[in-house]
Amino acid sequence: MFKSILNKSRRLVGIGSMAAALAAAAPVMAQDKEPIVFGGSIPLSGVFAFAGVHLHAGLTDYTTWVNSEGGINGHPVKYVMEDTGYEVDRSVAAFKKITGSNKVPVYYGDSTGFMKTIASELNSRGTTLMSGASFATALTDNEQYPYQFIPGPNYSQMFGIILEYIATQGKDGDMPTVAFVYSDTEFGKDPVENGKAKAAEMGIKVVEEIVTKPGSVDVSAEILKLRRVRPDFVVFHGYVLSPINEFMVQMRQMGLDTQFMGTFWSSDKLIINKMGADADGYMGVMPYNYYDSAESGPMLDALRATAEKSDPDAGYRPTGYMQGWFNAMVWTEVVKRTMDAGKELTAENMAESLASIENWDTGGIIGIPVTVKDMSFPVGRIWRVNAKEARYEPVSDWIHLD
Amino acid sequence: MDWLFFGEISLAGLAMGGLYALIGLGFVIIYKATRVINFAIGEIMMFAAYLFLAFAGGMEMSPWVALPLAVLGGSLLGGVIEKVMIRPMLGESSISVVMVTIGIASILVGVVEMIWGADPQLLPDFLPRKPVFIGEMYLAPKIAYGFLIGAAMLIIYLLYFRFSRGGVALRATASDQAAAYSMGINVRRVFNLAWVFGSLAASLAGVLVAATGGLSPQFGAIGLSVLVVVIVGGLDSIVGALVAGVFIGWLETVAGAYLGGEYRMPATFAVLAVILVFRPYGLFGTHDIERV
Repeated sequence: MFKSILNKSRRLVGIGSMAAALAAAAPVMAQDKEPIVFGGSIPLSGVFAFAGVHLHAGLTDYTTWVNSEGGINGHPVKYVMEDTGYEVDRSVAAFKKITGSNKVPVYYGDSTGFMKTIASELNSRGTTLMSGASFATALTDNEQYPYQFIPGPNYSQMFGIILEYIATQGKDGDMPTVAFVYSDTEFGKDPVENGKAKAAEMGIKVVEEIVTKPGSVDVSAEILKLRRVRPDFVVFHGYVLSPINEFMVQMRQMGLDTQFMGTFWSSDKLIINKMGADADGYMGVMPYNYYDSAESGPMLDALRATAEKSDPDAGYRPTGYMQGWFNAMVWTEVVKRTMDAGKELTAENMAESLASIENWDTGGIIGIPVTVKDMSFPVGRIWRVNAKEARYEPVSDWIHLD
Repeated sequence: MDWLFFGEISLAGLAMGGLYALIGLGFVIIYKATRVINFAIGEIMMFAAYLFLAFAGGMEMSPWVALPLAVLGGSLLGGVIEKVMIRPMLGESSISVVMVTIGIASILVGVVEMIWGADPQLLPDFLPRKPVFIGEMYLAPKIAYGFLIGAAMLIIYLLYFRFSRGGVALRATASDQAAAYSMGINVRRVFNLAWVFGSLAASLAGVLVAATGGLSPQFGAIGLSVLVVVIVGGLDSIVGALVAGVFIGWLETVAGAYLGGEYRMPATFAVLAVILVFRPYGLFGTHDIERV
């Protein structure tokens, strides 16, 4: 325990020294041009801190990398953030503080709640394009949220990708059956109605729908319900770890051969690290290649090299890191496209640039060229846990929804 | 109606209710002796569960050594909190004391995040994994064995309060502090003992609940859910905590199974509202009459 604290302290000292070195080197690196500010309300503490620290690391490392490559069209990039504790009011305060003292063309929002709350201000300012930790379906409504985008598929699209995969798993012409298990939160409920509609359209029968109370709860009663309907697949949404483990372990104890799948935030290596052998066979939809996947590409290699350099002791970087990096990559592309078109960096111009992204090669972060649709990147791949190797392995091709 | 399903659901609910009763007991012991509503009880549970994780996971001790150590650690924490933070508040308004317990809860969350980080955790498996069948009815093994351990602890507590000197002193102090003091009972020591015993019950429940539902720095929120149990049962009634704990556990599970998970809390709060209207002091609580 104390060793772990000591390691963390050493790591922080290391990061501090690196930050100091970068600051010292800044005058040499900095071009004369005005810096482009990446703003962020970042949940370094609070309930989402487990992901927030990695999102922050991804954004920080990308900024370091892009500056080492000459910035964006010669403009250095400056990442300015505040910790929000994953509280909407603190996120709003951070947004006002950061945008009040900087010209901020792009901004990272830490939650769906914050991104919805700030939408009207974002719309009236017209200065900033926002993305963040949220994959909420609602944020891809262009009428209401014209200046916000999703750095991957939204949750409904994730369900769509999962259902596309499930549809290929039928035997003897029969479609598999599926059950949805989700938390009783806005996050948990997000894709369920669209998921049911998509399943009906594809001829997949949703045999049970389980809603669980948030927090540490016993789910054995819910598992008993699933035992009666014996679904071929259970799709989880709105969780990070528990109660996925309990569903998997207890249903296997009952002798069911159900397969288990989850969406972005429940498809990190945390599941493998904490569940061990019980995680074997669990599948997740992921829009990005995993840090330790066998895939490669110029940007993925750069990501790995930068991550290794910034914190050599960190080892594997979670999906939150990839997400933070990809967000900043999209911002860079959007800012660059807007500048190249000779336009001002307004929210409207940048939203147009975003919408123009077609067959974009992400350098291996996503395995196929991607096209923006309705302010999202509707692409993903199904990965399955190989517990022995302690990693996710791809079991489907990349699926790009139309 | 599928009676087998109803029976299985009810069993799961009653077993979970047993753990609620244990947490409720932690609330009640402290309130009964000291008149302090301990809003940090969920965080004390959480701290004990993290201690278990450190002993059984980090230090790779046998879970059966780690469990008593973690529970003792949690109860020690309760004793220290009473001595350092609650005792100086003697004579202050009850709102001030409640605010102190809320503050303690925040501090404990911060300490846990600092030491163990913010990642969700699973406790090392220490309960048998073989499914339990009662007749034809299936019961999840973690819940079944968790209930048995919790029930054993409840029985030990009840015997202690009934027959031991410490238990008698605690009951005497709870009935009339001035009279207990005049009879030579060290009331301050009893206060400390109440925090130690209350925290011990909560700590054991903390490890057992975390073994089932996982652990994170937000785990303490369960303490507030159990507040419903003690209000329904009566804040100063041990029997009330036991009966209400088992009943609320059953009701929550049955409502979740038949109406959907989103109805678990509304079902229990509906019961709370009805109880507050007809018996504001709870099913078994003492009806204080204030003479003017």
